Amino acid sequence: MSHRFLASMGALAVMIVASVSVAGQTTAEKAKAAAAKKAAASKPWTQPKTAWGDPDLQGIYTFSTFTPMERPATLAGKQTFTEAELGEEEDTDAINRTAEDRPLREGDTGTYNTFWTSTEKGRRTGRTSLIVDPPDGRKPPLTPAAQKIRDASVAAAAARRVKIGVMDVTLYDTWADLPAYTQCLARPMPRIGQAYNHGIQILQAPGYVVIDYESMHDTRIIPLDGRPHLDKSVRQWDGDARGHWEGNTLVVDWTNFTDKQEWEGSPQGRMHFVERLTRVDANTVNEEITVDDPTTWTKPWTYVLPWRADDPNYQNAEDLYEYACHEGDYRQMEDALAGSRSIEKANPDATKRGSK
Amino acid sequence: MRHWSRGSTIAMVTSGVIAVLSLAVMSKAGQAPAYRAPRSADGKADLNGIWQALNTANWDIQAHGAGPSAFPRLLGALDAEPPGVGVVEGNEIPYQPWAAAKKKENFEKRLNPPLDKETNDTTGDPEAKCFMPGVPRATYMPFPFQIVQTPKYVMIAYEYANAHRMIHMDRKPLSPAPSWMGWSIGRWEGETLVVDVTDQVDRTWFDRAGNFHSDALHVVERYTPVSRDALSYEATIEDPKVFTRPWKMSLILYRSLDKNAQLMEFKCVEFAEPFMYGHLVKQ
Repeated sequence: MSHRFLASMGALAVMIVASVSVAGQTTAEKAKAAAAKKAAASKPWTQPKTAWGDPDLQGIYTFSTFTPMERPATLAGKQTFTEAELGEEEDTDAINRTAEDRPLREGDTGTYNTFWTSTEKGRRTGRTSLIVDPPDGRKPPLTPAAQKIRDASVAAAAARRVKIGVMDVTLYDTWADLPAYTQCLARPMPRIGQAYNHGIQILQAPGYVVIDYESMHDTRIIPLDGRPHLDKSVRQWDGDARGHWEGNTLVVDWTNFTDKQEWEGSPQGRMHFVERLTRVDANTVNEEITVDDPTTWTKPWTYVLPWRADDPNYQNAEDLYEYACHEGDYRQMEDALAGSRSIEKANPDATKRGSK
Repeated sequence: MRHWSRGSTIAMVTSGVIAVLSLAVMSKAGQAPAYRAPRSADGKADLNGIWQALNTANWDIQAHGAGPSAFPRLLGALDAEPPGVGVVEGNEIPYQPWAAAKKKENFEKRLNPPLDKETNDTTGDPEAKCFMPGVPRATYMPFPFQIVQTPKYVMIAYEYANAHRMIHMDRKPLSPAPSWMGWSIGRWEGETLVVDVTDQVDRTWFDRAGNFHSDALHVVERYTPVSRDALSYEATIEDPKVFTRPWKMSLILYRSLDKNAQLMEFKCVEFAEPFMYGHLVKQ
């Protein structure tokens, strides 16, 4: 026989002996094995690092949640849910989702229902609000100037609403009367909840952290080399970001937003965010945002939105679909505008502005 | 001289032979030995950086002289067509006869305003509408792009229309649906990143001249560092529905060396909207 054959027979013999040993473990041996397994499970989780030593935030996540930004008035004073309460809240969330498929009123063409909204929702954070500061879980008041801007915006939108028969109809004069995300132009940043497509992929290369959003196919490329922001005269829909590491937290200074974009109901031109991204366990990167705009809110406020890697809808890069929104959106845009022109033509008196 | 040792004679002869052999290798290759780029963290050629083409392929991938803009009376010399030696190898695009006629029609109707859905679907340069440009046009748009390279994914983010694509380097998942930027599966062949791009929608063009493809388009890209700050880019085009044989484009991509170079935002939807919807606004 060849050496090689003998060696492989020997290896096989060792394997057979080994498996017989495991099967024939004594009680003491089994207890020892179980203890070792438990010790491994309770070992403190350690922060993974990239090959060049930066904390590793990479992965595929969803930022969806049913936890509201602000604490509901009915839950005033309550910061967190118990496990049992959380379970009840999530049961209610599931019931509410199916209620989206209620039959429609006569003459109502309907809107988004469960066919269109995503199945990736259903997880709450365990807190009663995303806002962690102020402690009451609600945004600070708007400044008088910001309230005036909001009132004017609401009035301008109301001026385009008319009643045709039993239907309340919104007229669109031009493409800019539709929200920026309906135009498929931009979606407010930082991202909070939307009906669908909450996928995120984080990639890292030396000197950069890159956050790729499925929604609106936006990519934030965050340089870590300490360079200055873009000149303040340059305003962008997604702002301009600069990052650096503080321990295991990526601290991002986020500025240069355009006033044409609204975030949480107010123009973004003077908004300044400090974003803190921290991996807190194998499944979660927390995005903490401190909002700072003294022209809009009377004081800074902070919320935390977890990015979760354990949703079955978002496990691999191919689960983030191409968001070719504008490429297909002209049908909606044309229908919204052409529809308004038809309604005006057919109902000249009812659609005359200032007639209400 | 009598003092020459056998050793030094052997050394002289050997080094002479080596020199002759090296020359032979070099002249056989026709050029200096291939450039070896710095290594990424996982030992591959490092393609991280901001890159841009320095040609006029986006106007016309074939050789072309200078020409007027689409609206000379309005724009004068602004946006006139700059000339280019072309990026198509052999300068011929092997269209099937029906397709050559279609290309001409594309060019004639390139700026027809999309007054209805049918026109929008079938007619006009998608660049005018700020549609995602597809591959390879995204590579030679006159805007920078950034390569972010990791072992499992190479992401390319394009400044134009904030288009981007994810090149899968490890697993080879199947395309979930046709897309504008295509489905990219990549691998390394030595120093070259080779990317197979499939499942692109048929709505993108190769340039403003109306060169086009069908949904059967298959592009194979090759990115090879040729110096510290330049990549050779080759794209082999196969589309049996439109062309009689495969053909190839080849061009150089140049690294942006400007201080604090970054991709900025070119969200061109708002620039396209007057063109697309202007005929529907309230008078």
